[in-house]
Formats: sequence, C-alpha cells, structure tokens
Amino acid sequence: MKISKKGKLQIGLLLLPGLIIFGTFTLYPIIKLFVMSFFEWDFGSIHGQNFIGLQNYREVLNDKYFRVSFANTIVYTLVTVPGQMILGFLTAFLINQVTRFKVGYRVLYYLPVITSWVIASLVFKYVFNTEGLLNYFLVNVIHAAPQNIHWLDTRWGGLTVAMLLGIWKGIGWNMVVFLAALQTVPADLYEAASIDGANALGRLFHVTLPCIKGTILFALVMLTIGGFNVFTSVKMITGGEPGHKTDVVLTWMYHKAFGTGAFGYSAALSFIITMVLAILALIQFRMMQQKNP
Amino acid sequence: MKRKSIVQIILHLVLIGALAVVVLPMIYMVSTSLKPNGALYEYPPKFLPGLKQITLENYAYILNQGKFYINFLNSFFVAVCSVLSAALIASALGYVIARFSFPGRNFLFSFIVLTMIIPGLTLIIPQYQLAVKLNVINSLVGLIPFYTAWTIPYSTFMIKGFVENIPKELDEATYMDGGSVLTVFRKIIIPLAKPGIASVSIFNFLTAWEEFPWANTVINDNLKRTIPIAISGFFGQHQFTQWGYVFALSVFSLLPILIVFIFCQKFFVAGLTTGSVKG
Repeated sequence: MKISKKGKLQIGLLLLPGLIIFGTFTLYPIIKLFVMSFFEWDFGSIHGQNFIGLQNYREVLNDKYFRVSFANTIVYTLVTVPGQMILGFLTAFLINQVTRFKVGYRVLYYLPVITSWVIASLVFKYVFNTEGLLNYFLVNVIHAAPQNIHWLDTRWGGLTVAMLLGIWKGIGWNMVVFLAALQTVPADLYEAASIDGANALGRLFHVTLPCIKGTILFALVMLTIGGFNVFTSVKMITGGEPGHKTDVVLTWMYHKAFGTGAFGYSAALSFIITMVLAILALIQFRMMQQKNP
Repeated sequence: MKRKSIVQIILHLVLIGALAVVVLPMIYMVSTSLKPNGALYEYPPKFLPGLKQITLENYAYILNQGKFYINFLNSFFVAVCSVLSAALIASALGYVIARFSFPGRNFLFSFIVLTMIIPGLTLIIPQYQLAVKLNVINSLVGLIPFYTAWTIPYSTFMIKGFVENIPKELDEATYMDGGSVLTVFRKIIIPLAKPGIASVSIFNFLTAWEEFPWANTVINDNLKRTIPIAISGFFGQHQFTQWGYVFALSVFSLLPILIVFIFCQKFFVAGLTTGSVKG
C-alpha cells in the first residue's frame, strides 16, 4: 500500500510526542549518565570538571561498601526470585485444580502486589520491630527463640526482612502469570501421561513444567530485573543501617549521589549495574531461545 | 466422585491456610489503625485490639488535617495526568510501529524495549539535573513528564502487541472510504485496542500513585507532597512513630487502588498475561 504525503506527515505527527518525551526524559539522561561517569563530577558543579577516564569505575569496584551492597543485591535476588516463583507456581497449581472460588482466590492472593512498597515496608518494619509482634510470638508464645531477635539492626536480620517482604509481595504476580500459563497446557497431554502410568508428580515434571518453560523464563528475566531494582523496601526498613551493611546497590548509589554529592562515582556505579543486568538478561534470553527451538 | 470432593476440600483448606498467612500483614495494618494511640507501644503487643478498645481516633485525626486532602489530590492529579499522556503517546507509538515501516523503526522499537532493563533509579542523577534545568524541582507538574517517560516503554510494548491483533483489513477499508492515517488511529485502533490500553493504564496508575524515590527527591514542600511521601513523612519528625496515624493514612491511600482493582481485575490479568504466555 502506498502512503500519501499527507499520510507520512501524520505518521510523523503521531511519532513526535513520544520521541520528544522519550528522548528528553530517558535517552538524554542515559547519554548524560554515561558521559558523567568519566568525569570528576560533584554536586554543586553543574558543569563537569576534569575528564578522568576510568577513575570513577576503579573507585567503585575497589570500594568495600559497594562490594557489600553488590553482594547484598545478589543474595536478595538469589533468594527472592526462586522464592516467589516456587510459591507463586504452587499457588497457581492449587488454584488451577479447584473447581470453585478461582476468581476469589486470585483476587485475594493478588492484594500484596497492589499494596504500595512504602506501606508494605512500614507494616513489615512494625511487625519485625524488636519489641514487635513477631518477636513476642517467637519468644513468648511458641518459645522458638530465647530472647527478642534484633531483626532490624543487623546485616542479615535486615536483609531477611527485606527478602521476606519481596517474596510476600511477589507471590501474587507469579500466581497470575503461572495460572494463565497452566490454562494453556492441553488436557489431552495429561490424559496421555496418565495412560502411560505417570503419577501426579510425574505429570508435573514431564508435562506441566516443560509446557510452561517459556513462562518460567519470562518470569525469571522480569524478576531478576526486579531484584536488582530493590530500593524502597530497604530504604524504609533499614535505611542501609547499621553502617551501610544492609545497603543494596541502588540505596548505596542514592546515598553517594544525594548524601555525599559524588555524582561521577554514582554515574559509574549506575552504569556498572546496568551492564550486569544487560548481561544477565542476555544470558537468560539465550537460554530461552535454546530451549524453544 | 466422593474421593474427588475430599480432594477438593483439602485443596481449599490448603489455599485458605496459605491465604491467611498472606493477608496477615494487611489485617495487622488495619487492626493497628483501629487501636487507640496509647496502646501502640503496649507490651505484650496484641494482634487485634480488644472490642472496647476499638476507636476511630486515628482516622479522625487524619481527616481533620487539611494537608492530607491536598496530598491526596496531588497524587490523584499527577497519576491521572501521567496515565492519560502515557496512554495517548504509547498508543500512537504502538500503532505506528505496528503498522508502518519507516527508517529506524526496528532500532526505535528495540531501543524502547531495551530501556526496560535499565533500573529506573540509576538515571536519577541526570534526571535530577534535567529537572533543575527545566526549573521543575518542587513542582507537581514536573513529576508528570518523568512518570510518562518511565511508563512509555512497557506501555508501547504492550499496545503494539494489541494493535497487531487488529485485522489490517479494517485499516484498508477505512482508507478506501477516504480515511487518513489519523482516521484509522481514531476510529479503528483506539476503540479496538481499548482493553489493552485500559490494562496498561491501570498499571501506570498504580506506578504513579505509589512512586516514592523520585517524588521524595524532587518535592520538598509539605503541600506539594504525594501520598507515599506524606506517609513516610511521619518518620523522623518525632522520636517515636505514631503508627496509628501511619496506618490510618495507609488504609486511606489503598482504597482507590482497591476499588480500581476490584472493578478492573479482568484488565489486570489481561495486562499481565499477554506478554508472558507466548514465549
């Protein structure tokens, strides 16, 4: 089909607002960030000062606080991604089997997802308070701990709370995504497997999981990105305390940028994180292509 | 037959049991908001307030503070404006990318999708400098283009998918009748892609409604704060936190989202699953 001159003009007109907004508020900051990462650039100096090559990158990679925050982010991702995927899948699997109240379960299990990060973080902070409800339950009701646990003022305590929150908030999303995938598995495959003598576990591993492999990898990519994006919960629950031991990469970046004004350092850090995520996503996409020939 | 119904009962029991654990934190939030302020630091802590203890004083306090109405309106204004502009811009982009070939089309689309990988917060420094240059620090209106830009990639990606499912014959029939590219956009694409645009918009609303780090960084003025910033503002003011107020305001801020969610949960699911099941 030929497009008239007027048509071309209108196409341009439709593209223009998107290009302007996206170009100004996303593309330009990306380029600026990249440039800044090679300069000695601190808060207050609107214009960059000296070109220092890879100095900022070296500084980030040699910074022990960055290393701690990076390790924390990796642990957070390694725990929360499988955690929410497995629990979300199990929930979807059960909901898929029941004959009644499917929609009701779906709505209720989804509630944590639509609760904002700020609110969810505050609730968890309140529950895990040293004199809070959970400690009282653990110490005085079921006697599982000899004394109140300092959840919020130790490295692994604080991270545990953040990770539990991440899993709690993510189950619903995984449940909806896996429920939709389960409904696409052809019923006759289950029948054929049953005739071949497969039990419930055999059907799960040889029929269900291979059929929804695409969805599993989709969730894996999205959740890995989500894991590296963790910010608000850590900021609200521990604020990186004590002594930046519970910082994740984004809260550490935020602290360096707006707490100390080290813009160049933070820009280099941001770029390193983006590169790590891009490489991870690429590996996961490759896996996705290999397993679906 | 009988065995089947026993299995069903067990399934329901497991699901309800797990659900109880999942909704526990939310029940605790509501129950805390109904406790008198004096009981908040009581020991031992109680999960539910005693029947005689139940009070609405925290809600009354929130409703008597004029500033929280303003915070609410601020959030609402910013969210609605961001959602509308993102819906319009992303529909136009999705339509043009799905239907026409032009130089740089594939590059544009891949680039838009690739930016989804970048953690949004990493761009906060150049975006902050941009906001300074554009003189929109401490301005509500200044939040809108940033939120719009953040939601464009996902929205465009989804809406493009929906447009591709609209039969091309409808476009061609419109051209035959003398319609233009814009006519097709208005009369065919927007009406038929509406469910997709709606589901994307619900997500964008949630994003803007709950956004914390950016608004917290650029808005300082008490009366220009959005709801999440107002909630977090209870911390650091006093030595100890007024948890009753915090959770009463939290319950209020969850209500609009709950209402949207309950009435539009069909769209919620559509928006989540369109991209995920194809793979």
